[in-house]
Amino acid sequence: MTAPALEARGLVKRFPGVTALDGVDLVCRAGRVHALLGENGAGKSTLVKILTGNQPPDEGELRIGGTAVRLHDPRAALAHGVSAVYQELTVLPELSVLDNVMLGQEVSRRGLLSRDRQRDTARAALRRAGLGDLDPRTRAGTLSAAAQQLVEIARALVRGSRVLLLDEPSALLSGEGLSALHAVVRELAADGVAIIYITHRLEEVRALADDVTVLRDGRLVSTGPADAYPIDRIVREMVGRDVDAVFPELAEPGAEEVLSVRGLLPAGPGAAGPGLDLTVRAGEIVGVAGLLGSGRSRLLRTLAGVQPRAAGTVTVGGSPVRASLHAAVRAGVVLVPEERKTEGLVLDLPVRANTTLSSIGAVSPGGWLSAARERAAFEAERDRFGIRVSGPEQPTGQLSGGNQQKIVLAKWLRTRPRVLLLDEPTRGIDIGAKAEIYRIVAGLAAEGLAVVFASSELPEVTGLAHRVLVCQGGRVAGELTGDQINEERIMHLALGTSREAS
Amino acid sequence: MTAVTAPAGAAPARERLAAALSAAARTGLAAWAIVALLVAVLTVADPGGFWTAANIANVLTATVVLGLVALGQHLVVLTGGIDLSVGSTATLSALLTAMLIDGYPIRTIPTILAMLLLGAAIGVVHGLIVANTRIPAFVVTLSTFYLIQGIAFMISTTPSGQVTRALADVGMRRFGPFPLALAVLAAAVAIVAVLLHRTRFGRHVHAVGGDAAAARSAGVPVNRTLVLVFVIAGTLAAAAGVMLAARATIGSPNAGQGLELSAITVVVVGGASLLGGRASLAGTLGGVALLALVESSFTLLQLPATASDLIRGVVILAAAALFVPRSHRE
Repeated sequence: MTAPALEARGLVKRFPGVTALDGVDLVCRAGRVHALLGENGAGKSTLVKILTGNQPPDEGELRIGGTAVRLHDPRAALAHGVSAVYQELTVLPELSVLDNVMLGQEVSRRGLLSRDRQRDTARAALRRAGLGDLDPRTRAGTLSAAAQQLVEIARALVRGSRVLLLDEPSALLSGEGLSALHAVVRELAADGVAIIYITHRLEEVRALADDVTVLRDGRLVSTGPADAYPIDRIVREMVGRDVDAVFPELAEPGAEEVLSVRGLLPAGPGAAGPGLDLTVRAGEIVGVAGLLGSGRSRLLRTLAGVQPRAAGTVTVGGSPVRASLHAAVRAGVVLVPEERKTEGLVLDLPVRANTTLSSIGAVSPGGWLSAARERAAFEAERDRFGIRVSGPEQPTGQLSGGNQQKIVLAKWLRTRPRVLLLDEPTRGIDIGAKAEIYRIVAGLAAEGLAVVFASSELPEVTGLAHRVLVCQGGRVAGELTGDQINEERIMHLALGTSREAS
Repeated sequence: MTAVTAPAGAAPARERLAAALSAAARTGLAAWAIVALLVAVLTVADPGGFWTAANIANVLTATVVLGLVALGQHLVVLTGGIDLSVGSTATLSALLTAMLIDGYPIRTIPTILAMLLLGAAIGVVHGLIVANTRIPAFVVTLSTFYLIQGIAFMISTTPSGQVTRALADVGMRRFGPFPLALAVLAAAVAIVAVLLHRTRFGRHVHAVGGDAAAARSAGVPVNRTLVLVFVIAGTLAAAAGVMLAARATIGSPNAGQGLELSAITVVVVGGASLLGGRASLAGTLGGVALLALVESSFTLLQLPATASDLIRGVVILAAAALFVPRSHRE
């Protein structure tokens, strides 16, 4: 048997106070898709950083094609044929798509860029990545996040690497984008590339993977051919215990109408047509589904007063709410945003400050911020939600995604809202923490909160909602309740292929 | 995805105006539009004075020194940095040019080359510090701004030296409305334009300023790019110093004072983002033309020169308010 395309043995990486990787092995063979699985904080990101030369390991050995290597920077990794599509977008918004695809691998002759060859190479790569229709001169910043992700994949294609790491490449994709991605991955594997595929969507493992490696708490749990990994085994090994029910029982909603929306139309390009009518009762959880760009987020952002309305009224408990964030918060409508790290939290602030950010008056008697009250407030929320932190002074950016999300929730709940809006509440959060977030949301609804959440994950929409709205092309295409809620019907409505579309 | 990326046909007029303004700033059209407006105003205000060959040559001469430092600043700002030392570098270069030549024709060429090398060396120091430490370019070049000016004062506190006739000619001769010195700026513009838009280095400059971490992980040699950018900025500042000496025929320890702020003004008015990654060369050149016009029209219209700073402040704020592209989100 030939040497593996990539072989890591006994990798150890320590950070102050935590061992991120503790003797992890990983063996990837040419032509195979290797799914790397684990909760957030299991060590996947650290492993990616080591394999791509962004961070040196403290101990351990790395072999590429049988030769021991040291990757001291990303250029060294690229030179050894290891490239990556990172979880965070690394598309440069001010450069054209072409320049982004060719970045770091520009073709030049006698010092000048060779325009024709650059364009041809980029075009070919874009076509393989499923962006054949895109004009390479388009400024990358004008593309949707999903399209930008595909641009990154095109960039990796141009490199012709032997080992390709894909760190949650599908997180932003759905529908066509996802199929294009899967087709590209299979094609690359057929060409003999070793692919390391990181994902939180476990159904992808079955669709794509040849081998599976599961990490937990920085350690290797198990590795083997994908056939030996049914979904429940993966979940058990990732979480370290059986998760029998990810979704909690939902309590019956009350009778009181809390949120009432009439003819709501978000402002912006293409604002036209009939607006949205929606009534949410106390204790009711409404899920909003739809493909990327269908207007899910825009709907929630408009309700929260973050985006202006073109038309329509919003009333909470019978009183109208003006279209501003301030008015919405005062009326008890709060939004847990999709962009947790930029819109939900100030990452450099300690956790206690983020917890009280929106209700700072409550811990400032006489206008003076009381450190003791702030700490007490934080500790109360920590205990209520089981937030795992080293202390009230820990910078929020150091927390895992799940714990960060709990801080955002706590921050808004301290303002005593009546309507809780959640945009992609579990994006980038591992399964264990997801279940906790679901339990928290169900509990809040049982206490009488009206909840509206948008999600691109169908199991989440079907599992957590009393009622589901499906958006398509900026409008609400249909509403499903009770037994009608299933993934198939939602997809039909989302794609506009349903006869029951209203 | 087409639904997300396609521009909407029925956007309200206000949004379209904002988009047009931001596009104008992005492409550098905005600065030129103001230049055209100002030219129209000056034509009306003083038709006999403005369009004379001598006055046009005056305006164009004013663009040369400013343009040279602005080109360097343009590159540095594109990487997300700033170079506060270009005025001091120009001063030192002007002073040394005059003192080292001291009237001997044979020394002219070697002295100029030595000055360009000096500027490049200053740039290497800046680049290495900025690339290899976490000290921001602002702080690094603020310190060298004082250091280099201090060295100039140690060499001489009074104007001294003497350039040769030939060099003075480059600084002052004109053919009709075209000063000879404009050729120096034209050459520099051509070189920078090709570097920026037709080479790998140019792409890397844009990438480093857009997101250094992303550029690094894409295999862009970030440190090398930064060093090279500061080297070019230093060299251009030194060239500006040589032109200052040529125009004054002597070297003054105050020759380049304030040039760093003028250069930043020009780049900002040209629509560049001080955060890096976005700047248009046409815009920066428009900014150079604008500032040169403003400065030279004070004498033309016999306005008090003391009002110059007021006008500058107003121009910067107006340009920023009008043309700073607003970020749109879906």
